[in-house]
Amino acid sequence: MALTSIHSTRKLVAQILLLGFPTIALGLYFLYTANSYYEVLQNKWQLQGLVFSIGCIASLTFYSYRFRFLTTVAALVLFIVLLYTILNNVVVGEFETPLLSINFRIFSTLFLLGWLIGWGFARSRYFTIFWSLLLLTAQVLIVSGISDISVKAILISFVPVLVYAFYIIYTSELIRNMNEHEGKFGWFIVKRLLGFGILIAVMLLAVFTTFQKEFQGLERDWGKGQGKGKGQGASESMTKENKDGTVSNKESMQVTGSLQKRTNRLVFVARLDNYMEGGMTPNPLYFTTYYYTKFDTVTQTFETDPAMPKSDLFRPDPSTIPLYFAKTDSSAITNTMATLKRKVVNAEVYSVNLAPTEFLAPSTAFFCQPISVDKDFRSQYRSAYRAKMWVSELNSAYFVYNPAGNFMLENFQQSRFEELRKAGSYDSIDRQFMDYYTFMPGNEEYKRIKELAVQITKDAVTPVDKMIAIRDYFLGQDEYGQPLFKYSDNPGIPGLPSASKLNYFLFENRKGYCAYFAGATLFMLRALGIPSRITAGFLTVDRSTKNPGWYWFYEDQAHAWVQLYFPGYGWIDFDTTVPDEGAQQSPQPDQTPPLNMQQAYFVANGKVASVDTIKKMMQLQVDKLLYHDKELNPDKTTSLTLDLSIATVIRDSGAVSIGELKKGMDVVAVSYVESIKELPPLPNDNFRSIIEKLPNPVPIDEIKIMEQREKEKVSPQLEEEKKSLSWWQIMWIGIGIIVGFIVLLFAAPYLLWCYYNMKAKQNADPKTKAYRVNRASMFYLNQVGWARTNLGPFEYADSIDKRFGTSLSGFNNAYQKIKYSTQPLTGQETNTITGFYPGFIRQVRKLLPFKMRFSRFLNLYHTIHFFTQPKTNR
Amino acid sequence: MMEQEIQVDQALQNIQKLVGNIEKVIRGKKEQVQLILTALLAKGHILIEDNPGTGKTVMAKTLAHSIAGRVGDGGVVFKRIQFTPDLLPMDLIGSHIFDDAKKDFLFKKGPLFCNVLLADEINRASPKVQSALLECMAEHQITIGETTYPLEKMFFTIATQNPVEMEGTYPLPAAQLDRFFLKIRFGYVDEATELDIYKDYLGIQNNLDHTEQVLSMNEILFLQQQTQEVYIHDEIIAAVRNIVWETRRQADIVLGASTRSGITFLKCLKAFALVNGRTYVTEDDLQKITSPVLDHRLIYRNREAKQKALSAILDKEMDRLAKLNIAKKNS
Repeated sequence: MALTSIHSTRKLVAQILLLGFPTIALGLYFLYTANSYYEVLQNKWQLQGLVFSIGCIASLTFYSYRFRFLTTVAALVLFIVLLYTILNNVVVGEFETPLLSINFRIFSTLFLLGWLIGWGFARSRYFTIFWSLLLLTAQVLIVSGISDISVKAILISFVPVLVYAFYIIYTSELIRNMNEHEGKFGWFIVKRLLGFGILIAVMLLAVFTTFQKEFQGLERDWGKGQGKGKGQGASESMTKENKDGTVSNKESMQVTGSLQKRTNRLVFVARLDNYMEGGMTPNPLYFTTYYYTKFDTVTQTFETDPAMPKSDLFRPDPSTIPLYFAKTDSSAITNTMATLKRKVVNAEVYSVNLAPTEFLAPSTAFFCQPISVDKDFRSQYRSAYRAKMWVSELNSAYFVYNPAGNFMLENFQQSRFEELRKAGSYDSIDRQFMDYYTFMPGNEEYKRIKELAVQITKDAVTPVDKMIAIRDYFLGQDEYGQPLFKYSDNPGIPGLPSASKLNYFLFENRKGYCAYFAGATLFMLRALGIPSRITAGFLTVDRSTKNPGWYWFYEDQAHAWVQLYFPGYGWIDFDTTVPDEGAQQSPQPDQTPPLNMQQAYFVANGKVASVDTIKKMMQLQVDKLLYHDKELNPDKTTSLTLDLSIATVIRDSGAVSIGELKKGMDVVAVSYVESIKELPPLPNDNFRSIIEKLPNPVPIDEIKIMEQREKEKVSPQLEEEKKSLSWWQIMWIGIGIIVGFIVLLFAAPYLLWCYYNMKAKQNADPKTKAYRVNRASMFYLNQVGWARTNLGPFEYADSIDKRFGTSLSGFNNAYQKIKYSTQPLTGQETNTITGFYPGFIRQVRKLLPFKMRFSRFLNLYHTIHFFTQPKTNR
Repeated sequence: MMEQEIQVDQALQNIQKLVGNIEKVIRGKKEQVQLILTALLAKGHILIEDNPGTGKTVMAKTLAHSIAGRVGDGGVVFKRIQFTPDLLPMDLIGSHIFDDAKKDFLFKKGPLFCNVLLADEINRASPKVQSALLECMAEHQITIGETTYPLEKMFFTIATQNPVEMEGTYPLPAAQLDRFFLKIRFGYVDEATELDIYKDYLGIQNNLDHTEQVLSMNEILFLQQQTQEVYIHDEIIAAVRNIVWETRRQADIVLGASTRSGITFLKCLKAFALVNGRTYVTEDDLQKITSPVLDHRLIYRNREAKQKALSAILDKEMDRLAKLNIAKKNS
């Protein structure tokens, strides 16, 4: 049998270049993303992409010859199955065989997929539409599963697929109608490829400019050679990076396939006034940012809940509080419902890479006072604040740490357990509180967790013993003496995207990072009826022997653990995460902590009335005054003259020049001057008398510009709104976008027709009019199925007239005359041109049923043909 | 000027009359009739290729009779030669015959000295006869020995040939085919017309015997002159250039069209417009004329290319012309 080809080599080349390569590019992108999701793919996306592209191109080439589809594919499948059976039966080694067979399955599936796509491009005209719809549907499913949902994210994930869909449908139709005998084939290809390249470049440019900040962050990571550069949404990070490169904890925590390890950057440094009895041994405490009390079962995300009962979360924004002025929330203390073993602890937090708006402190904070950083340390620390906390003595880090076989630590912790065993029962606790903190999803998979929890804790009676039993279960060993659970940043996820990742962790994989351990512990505790929640923050390690009480916090110390509620004792921390054996140690702190704190004697907050940059003087309209720690409020508008000759002006971003001060700005002026120190306030001093006592002008050491937060306050709200979109809303939006796209696509012929029709009806000089009428008529006839094909104008007009009883021939004659001759038109011909059109359309419409016209107007191919070459009917 | 316009109108009407007249005899072949007249008006010659019995000869005869009277009374002289393998050039041109009375060789003019020549089955004659005929067609004169004899002022050849694939033929080489302005196929008539012909074959025979003379030779000569006056738009000329160029570029066409073919093309376009009663050339003319003018001049790579290549080129050009925005051009 001689091989005969269906189309020429040129068409094949065009198909490979213009259809095959973009599809392969998309395939690579998908494979790249999928590889970071699924461990079973083993991160071999390049090789997989190669197999896919070989399949696609081979199939395109193969089916450009007259081969039957069903028989060839059946033969191919048979061949692959046979090969697989043989490979499976040949013993290569104990481990290689199963690995090989899994790989083989993946590769053969990809090859077959590529093969099918190639066949579709080569043979089926409607395949591109089907393929695009398939991709869009897949995209909707994928997008509905991601956690950080915003309009931006939706756009990012939909735009490439939409553009691809448009492109692939248009190009395949273009190639279908390509003139194979045309001489300038090379130019044809180059032109299209150039167009495609420009399209890609424009898109990349748009994406780059929109997300420049994010890219810069990525670049920085790469520059340090530590960022893994994984795709967004593919992995989870315990912290989030803000646009200015600072770090904060996240409002939600998703259980994902891998934890994105950021750089080991120093985030903040803290001094903690908490010492063991005797006051010499520092007693570290874990730093808390958020409590995750809710769990979204669909996205498998732990979330914060502003409406949690008895909220003891104190979250001020330090950047909005004027320097040295304090913000206090005593309700946080009452909401702990704890009286036993509690004390107030002071802390000072010096931010290095912490977001200026971020506030974190050990346990239950209730007081926040931004303080100024000493001049000598300003290059190292962005800002600082002082915090006061209502801390349980039982929450000392040495109590909380997972002992993991450290007997000294375990023995030490026994004293805490003894104390907690004394805790009363939960019977007297508010019902609503109990219900909220023991809530568990009712799905089948959580029942399995409950069974496990009951089985593990069958010997334990008190809540704390149950907790210890769960902790010890994670530390247990299997029958071979190997640890049952292992720490892993990249535990991988189950094969089915919607399967419970916690179940996968608990029962199959047994590898995970802190979110897994904390999450699993939480559900086990809740299953046992113990009120609990997840805490996110930073793990505290005492590494410094030089500066007792000072702690350094690196980004990889971001952590999550659980808190249990004990009546009377309040929320008590427990850490069940097993140690990471392969963990690299954070660098030892070598900097000096900012030790010499200055006492501010005069602090004024107010608006700038005027600035004299030459004399370095400023008028401040005072709102609040802090004098020797005494807060005073003016009874009427008061203006103070300030001497700025030695003052430094700072913003959240660092020191700036005096010229940055503008009228109307909200600033805080601070003075450490000795002369004021020597003027302590008298008990009966009021605002007025203090003002009079002050030197004029007041010498100022530091001016802090308060950032205008109004705008940014709006945007987090917006963001929250975006994030609160649930997955089904996303699905609807996705479907909406697709439907809109399809409707627009199918309405395109009609819209075009409206345009031509409108143009044709306008009055114009005969020449223009004739052209427009001709164009509109041609479009209409083409769209309703009477395309000109390869007839000459006269023959065509004649055939239309015969079919519809119109007078297109008459018009055509006049049109040809006006087009190709210099002779003037006769009066009759002019009348034909001006009056022909409406009657003609009416006549054609009359003879075509509405149903037919409607369906024909939905046919995009007719429209495409109108603009490309007519198909030949020979 | 006015007078001439009237004359033009008159002549145009006469052409339509002529077409109608021929149609009485040759049914359902309007397009072919128009093309033959096109070749006549463009001062060229035409080659009709088809199977025997499709009406080629009747066609030529009718045409000749419609122009001239039955006898050569100052009108058109019509001659017919049946080409056979043993035909010699002198059978066409004529020969010197010894005159006993004058004791001298007299030149006896052959059938070429006429106005309308029907060269039947041209490809059955040997190449030397073929080239003799074709040379006369090109040169419009015959040289024998030292004497040159000019042919008639109006000299129009209708040659017919059997399809090349048939046995007993000497195919004409491309260089000689080039002498013919147009090559047309006759083809069979459609079913209804065929039935009509069967029913009325006696009437047709009668019509052939009593064909009216609708045009005089002078009128033909006048129309031939008028052909040059037909207006042809720059875009159409550009289209002709594009088509000719494209035939040279195409990979499927081994031998493309020459510049002479392009000029012939333009002449035929003008003549065809006139035959259709117009004094300007339109897209329709281009569409109808392209294949008859160019097809026999091109050498294709294979059979498939012969069917597709030229029409693909034409379709592309037609598409360009159809979308031409005339409103933009002149404003």
